[in-house]
Amino acid sequence: MLNKTNKVMLIDDNEIDLKINAKLISLFKLFDETIICQSAEEALDYLNKYSNESDKLPSFILLDIQMPDMDGFDFLEQYKNLSKTFTDRCTIAMLSSTLDFGDIQRAEANPYVVKLLKKPLSLPELTKLV
Amino acid sequence: MPARNQSVRILYIDDEENNLQAFKASFRRQYEIYTANSAAEGLKILQNVDLHVIIADQKMPKTTGVEFFKSIAETYPDPIRILLTGYTDIDALADAINHGDIYRYIQKPWNDLELHNSIKNAYDAYRAKVDLRNKVAELEKTNNELNRFIYSISHELRAPLVSVIGIVNLVKMEGLYDSSGEYWGLIETCSNKLDYYIQKTLQYYKNNKNNTDASEVDFTKMISELVEVYSYADKDTQFTIHVDQEIPFLGDVFRIEVILGNLISNAIKYQKVTELNKKVNIEVNVKPDLAHISISDNGMGILNEHLEKIFTQFFKSKVHHGSGLGLFIVKEALNKIDGRISVSSDLDKGTTFKITIPNIK
Repeated sequence: MLNKTNKVMLIDDNEIDLKINAKLISLFKLFDETIICQSAEEALDYLNKYSNESDKLPSFILLDIQMPDMDGFDFLEQYKNLSKTFTDRCTIAMLSSTLDFGDIQRAEANPYVVKLLKKPLSLPELTKLV
Repeated sequence: MPARNQSVRILYIDDEENNLQAFKASFRRQYEIYTANSAAEGLKILQNVDLHVIIADQKMPKTTGVEFFKSIAETYPDPIRILLTGYTDIDALADAINHGDIYRYIQKPWNDLELHNSIKNAYDAYRAKVDLRNKVAELEKTNNELNRFIYSISHELRAPLVSVIGIVNLVKMEGLYDSSGEYWGLIETCSNKLDYYIQKTLQYYKNNKNNTDASEVDFTKMISELVEVYSYADKDTQFTIHVDQEIPFLGDVFRIEVILGNLISNAIKYQKVTELNKKVNIEVNVKPDLAHISISDNGMGILNEHLEKIFTQFFKSKVHHGSGLGLFIVKEALNKIDGRISVSSDLDKGTTFKITIPNIK
């Protein structure tokens, strides 16, 4: 990881949660840089745009489940079409205020998702995954 | 004649024109009558009129009454069928009952009063059938709405609340928690309380849904996870956990988690403030037919006269404010999976809950 900045991408339609989570990450310097996306579409545009510039790509993605139009699961469907060199070194954790058993099982069954984290984002839980 | 009867629509199929005329003459004032002289003609009427009762003669050329009823069993299940026959044919009768879904069998020549009563009863049966179907459809709709409502509670209602809790956490981390007197603490208490109610409400409704599941339960893993979750806010309590599970246990994971989670959280919550040595002891013993679980604490205990009421909805003791939901949900969940619970308690010394849950196998 020398010479490389460690980036995290936050995908959430809720501006307040974006703010809270970005702040939490910057307070504890878990990453060098935070890429903020207000929708799954915006995130995909970013990832496609910089697909050849690996220094711009995140190594960790925090993905909200409930979003209008394209939700977290729709994003994952598109995500698997991205280059394998990128997806292999990027970790995804889903984030949700859900208490729904079905959502939890569905998220953790996805091969790209390491864990479903519950909102509010807890620092110890996140640190374990980074 | 009551107006209701005016709208009873009857089709009578018989190849003998005289019978059709006689039937009309006897009943046209009470009912809306359609007649046909063959099964084929009858079918044409059936396709165009919403009928309540169909009366068919058994002995007709080409298609018999029973054959006709059989042929419409799938396509027109609603109208109530009455078979009319001039001779006793046991085979036809057996066939009619087994395959034609026949409501009544009436011998020719018919007695007006008997036939009249049969038609009346048949119409009542028709109404009951349709009413039941409407009720079921209505219930299904209400149920679906309830499911959507529960889902939206768990997302829409909870999402902003969880943001508030997230902000309070940030305030703590930035060292600002005590910056505005006790206001942040009050916001935190209220938010946690609201979140608790939302979670309990969801648990209650999810438990009320009927389907129980049978998956493998690893008590050691489940209990250590639950203890981790509930002791997060209170690190003082010491847990002693003994799980004796050598055989697989099959049960309803969601409900068992709800039961143990509520009991563990209570054991932590109802400790004595002055107690320096807060302890919770959990023992699990899995037998081939039952799992025995005991959860005891050295907390504040329960008043003797309250012991019988603690499992009722919204029961709260005057001194220590709970939601009155936790133990009620425990009891409801145990009912769904045929479990049992008993409690013993000494005031100021502690409480022991003992539960048994059947191994589904």
